[in-house]
Amino acid sequence: MINLGTYLGISFALFICGILVMVARKNIIAILLGIELILNASALNFAAYTKFSNNNIDGHIMSLFIIVTAAAEAAVGLGIVIRFFQLRESIHIDDAASLQN
Amino acid sequence: MYLNYLASISRYIPELLLVMLMVGLILIETTYANDDKNKRYIFITAISGLVVTFISLLLNLDGKSETIFNNSMVIDSFSTTMKMIMVLGTLGAYYLSTISKEIYESLKTEFIIMAIGILIGGMILASANNMLMMYIGIETLSIISYVMAALKKNDERSSEAGLKYALYGGISSGIMLFGMSHIFGVIGTIQFTGMAANIAKLDHTQILIMMPSFVLFFAGIGYKIAAVPFHMWSPDVYEGSPTPVTTFFAIVPKLAGISALVRVTMIFFSTASPLSVMWVGLMMVIAALTMTVGNVSAIGQKSVKRMLAYSSISHAGIMIAGLVVLNKIGIQAIVFYSMIYLFMTLVAFYITNIVQDKYGNDHFERFQGLAYRYPYMAIMMSIVMFSLTGLPPLAGFVAKWNIINSLLSSKFYTLAIVLVLNSVVSAYYYLKIVRLMTLKQPESTEEIEGFGFLNQFIIVAMTAPVIILGIFWDSVMNIAYNAKLFIP
Repeated sequence: MINLGTYLGISFALFICGILVMVARKNIIAILLGIELILNASALNFAAYTKFSNNNIDGHIMSLFIIVTAAAEAAVGLGIVIRFFQLRESIHIDDAASLQN
Repeated sequence: MYLNYLASISRYIPELLLVMLMVGLILIETTYANDDKNKRYIFITAISGLVVTFISLLLNLDGKSETIFNNSMVIDSFSTTMKMIMVLGTLGAYYLSTISKEIYESLKTEFIIMAIGILIGGMILASANNMLMMYIGIETLSIISYVMAALKKNDERSSEAGLKYALYGGISSGIMLFGMSHIFGVIGTIQFTGMAANIAKLDHTQILIMMPSFVLFFAGIGYKIAAVPFHMWSPDVYEGSPTPVTTFFAIVPKLAGISALVRVTMIFFSTASPLSVMWVGLMMVIAALTMTVGNVSAIGQKSVKRMLAYSSISHAGIMIAGLVVLNKIGIQAIVFYSMIYLFMTLVAFYITNIVQDKYGNDHFERFQGLAYRYPYMAIMMSIVMFSLTGLPPLAGFVAKWNIINSLLSSKFYTLAIVLVLNSVVSAYYYLKIVRLMTLKQPESTEEIEGFGFLNQFIIVAMTAPVIILGIFWDSVMNIAYNAKLFIP
């Protein structure tokens, strides 16, 4: 039986996974993956709420926009990571510590 | 239908002008920028485009408040005033980028192209009237900011700043969206129009779901403002980015975030409800923490830029404090504060950047003895530092006084006391620069090329409002008084 609660449970699990990935992993690419998980959790939420409790398509539009901006954000993020890798030869987040004094 | 869109576009001219300016600059840059003497056409185009945008915003200021594009955006005097401040901030940061050595000569056009992109995002954010526009505004603002922070691309620190900005930005916009999705699920619409009625209809369970959702929602805006739990990126990014970019970040995204926060607060929470009590409590705690953490962290810094970053965090806290009163007086105080903050920040960063260009770093010691070599600049820097502290008769005092006045008139005595105590703490590190400039002997007698006649003139012209508005603040206060928030 799939109802609204199932979707919300899955999206909440995705959200928690994303937060855990970002806190626990030290690889920058993995952190970007964690961001994607969080964004997808909210996109799923919007779609599920539209399907089960609303009549308008606001949530669907919102999900589409989230997908597009997530792609843009990942592109820019990866570009910066590549630049960082060329300068430091590392994608470990602990190597990005020259600004703390 | 079509007439409706035409009417909407007629209120949307400033943003359209900026889009055209951005596209035009990209075309000019790709076609003509190979030749160095063509650079000045780009300069003239950018400056005149921004000035025309400012004038068209000025013409928009007196029009009636209305929603455009099927209620997705709202044009009112509050958003127009904030947009005007943002355009002025862009102009200031652009002129600084043309004289600064921090930005590579070949990337100076890219600076203004990206700055205009961020400005468009900020304008969307300032007049967003539904969650979608708010999200688009924040993302337009953020995604271009990541690139801009990493603008000095062969510099490790700048790339690191861009990386940190991108990671923190992605996290907080994701958290904000998660909160938004639950707000949407409970209320059933993403439109802000008629929100007060929707909030009033909620039952007990729904309010319980809404409370954590709004806390999550605050993450996205709080990250743009650098409010305290989400301020970790700010000092690193401000220190690592080139100084003109830092100047820009300290003004445009911050004020755009403030105006979005003001709008969200007034739309969702201006009527009495359990939610509004929760939000006011949250804002009080965040305002107090933001001021205190910003000021206390600023004390031990070696780099002036990092100190200014922490000081801009504490100023954001003061602006948030104007929000908890939930009425017109608070909003007017915030608008007035933003105007003064613009000039003070610009002058402080201009002088820091010119000194930094000469010596290669921006430690406090580089300011030693500036008063003996460039007395005017030392006086201007001192005026701005006194004003940032909030001493009369300068404009910073009037701005802080307005915020405290609004707090006292609504009986938020604790927050007002915290604000005053924080001003005392901030005096320590602001006046440290004044002490170094006047009481120490200069390290060298070399000339600083950046302090040519034109640049000194511009710095004096930007300091003039700080002095004049400290005494004759009625006329500008009138602009702030007319900045009315329109709640559809």
